[in-house]
Amino acid sequence: MKRHEVLVIGAGPAGLSAAIEAAKNGMDVAVFDENARPGGQLFKQIHKFFGSKEHHAKERGFNIGKDLLKEARDLGVKVYLDATVMGIYYDKEILVNHNGEVDHFKGDTIVIATGAAENMVSFKGWDKPGVIGAGAAQALMNLQGVQPGEKILMVGSGNVGLVVSFQLLQAGCQVAAVIDAAPRVGGYGVHASKVARTGVPFYMKHTVVEALGEDKVEGAVIAEVDDHFQPIPGTEKTLDVDTICIAVGLSPMSQLADNAGCEMKFLPKKGGNVPVVNEYNETSMDGIFCCGDVAGIEEASSAMLQGKIAGSTASYKNGYIDEDEWQQSVEKYRASLEQLRTGMFAPQNKGRTDMTETDEGIPLSKSLLAKGYVTDEELAEFPACSTKVSGVHPVIECTQNIPCDPCQDACKFGCIKVGSNISKLPVINPEATCTGCGMCIASCSGQAIFLVNEDYEDGFATVALPYEFLPLPQAGDKGKALDRSGKPVCDAEIVSVKSSKVMDMTNILTMKVPVEYAGTARFYRA
Amino acid sequence: MTKIVRTAATEPFKPMPDDDMIVCRCEEITKGEIRKAVYDGMSTTNEVKRWLRCGMGLCQGQTCQKNVQSIISRELGLKIPDIGQITGRSPVRPVVMEVFANDVLDVHEEA
Repeated sequence: MKRHEVLVIGAGPAGLSAAIEAAKNGMDVAVFDENARPGGQLFKQIHKFFGSKEHHAKERGFNIGKDLLKEARDLGVKVYLDATVMGIYYDKEILVNHNGEVDHFKGDTIVIATGAAENMVSFKGWDKPGVIGAGAAQALMNLQGVQPGEKILMVGSGNVGLVVSFQLLQAGCQVAAVIDAAPRVGGYGVHASKVARTGVPFYMKHTVVEALGEDKVEGAVIAEVDDHFQPIPGTEKTLDVDTICIAVGLSPMSQLADNAGCEMKFLPKKGGNVPVVNEYNETSMDGIFCCGDVAGIEEASSAMLQGKIAGSTASYKNGYIDEDEWQQSVEKYRASLEQLRTGMFAPQNKGRTDMTETDEGIPLSKSLLAKGYVTDEELAEFPACSTKVSGVHPVIECTQNIPCDPCQDACKFGCIKVGSNISKLPVINPEATCTGCGMCIASCSGQAIFLVNEDYEDGFATVALPYEFLPLPQAGDKGKALDRSGKPVCDAEIVSVKSSKVMDMTNILTMKVPVEYAGTARFYRA
Repeated sequence: MTKIVRTAATEPFKPMPDDDMIVCRCEEITKGEIRKAVYDGMSTTNEVKRWLRCGMGLCQGQTCQKNVQSIISRELGLKIPDIGQITGRSPVRPVVMEVFANDVLDVHEEA
């Protein structure tokens, strides 16, 4: 039997943050993870995160993971890997399968941060090789460097489905379609748009009815669904794919909390069966905390803050900080958490379909929710998307209230303003002058900012866009400009390619297009 | 708890075209077997699990539980909280017996 004051189960964003917070306050902390690598899902996340600076916005997930790990290790947190916690027993004893041997640990505080597992849908042939979870696709691509398949059907248009679709494209796969049984794209519009502009079609109100093939997936049959999510006969379409990727939500892995005796509740908005926690992430069992996805599906940034609240509370309850310090830190983390829980995708708005306009009173794009891209007419309603300005200027195609504000910090010339409510849409300051540096393009986690210059040359405009694909085009390359739906609209010539360390792997392509396409050309294909 | 309307108990089992679809991959339990279990009197997720072993395989219900629950709830006209969850108990992950055997060795070594 070994002893640590705090036993943290799960080395993901929530667990590591709880461990760091407790260790900072002087506690002796051990973290257990069943995987060979710590970091939870963070190391699969190669995209830039949303939020504000304090939420690690515009940092890529795997870099956040690296930073958390280093911080934990520097603080003396003991990290046990290949260590599966099998059960929680009386008096905070846990049983660990560590490298194939049973180990017993005892603590004063237990933090359960076991995260979530992917949901599956069952349909004819779903048990064939080639039907995989989106998380599995990410693990193959981003951890192992293996393409999950060549032609992929993505089932699910939530953020996971959209982000993984984009990553599949980056890995050189074709994405045949993104489908969802719901009538509206579930994830952030900006994530949908960056997939749609590469030419991936979106089919809402569609489900997968069959995986074709003998021993493996050799095609997929999809069909439109009625209002009760039942396939409508006669609407079937066959797609030529070799992989069906499922991204239909997550379920909390809450078995350990149940096993420990915590009060559980089935809450569909939280993703399933979850431990009941109070505002400090304490469960009904004294000294047992739950934070992150296991306490209700959210995302990594809020998981980190929940972990910090749990770590701070454990420190107070064990006498490592006084009440004032505890309250101050919890207040700070809670305010930060509240910032993230604003906007149309906030947990309290989950499942809502009655929203028709932004907080600013601008009609929400219907096309974005149905097809993944905003139409020219809809975009004209958004002031930050105006193209009728002389000289180079930013066009910000950010049309939903999402908690995110790196663009306003990125512009050193004060062109872009979001304000203190980070879910507000960015506005462009007409007094400030854009120098065309492109920092805003690289800072936008949603890849929604473009720099347009209608006065580039007689009859020609330039459009600068974020580009995260290989091979990187070179100045002088000629190709096609694609519109927001991914349709080639005109010839384009690359006039410059900018990459730098501060842009963190987001390259900026500037392409020359006929001036009449300045407002529509949004992607480049060689 | 909602009152169970046991139409299943009074009506004969009606086969459905997708009854041969596997729902629990680990234990290879089909949708038809799960529906049949409901007709045979099982009315909770745990009962169906004990009757058929769905949720007792490698994934311990992590993959199939929601799909099994939706079949049971549809057959009985009940909501998910009424049919309950698979009980979370140790070991929450499948463990080979060798690991438990190693526990004894470890205690002796430490002593």
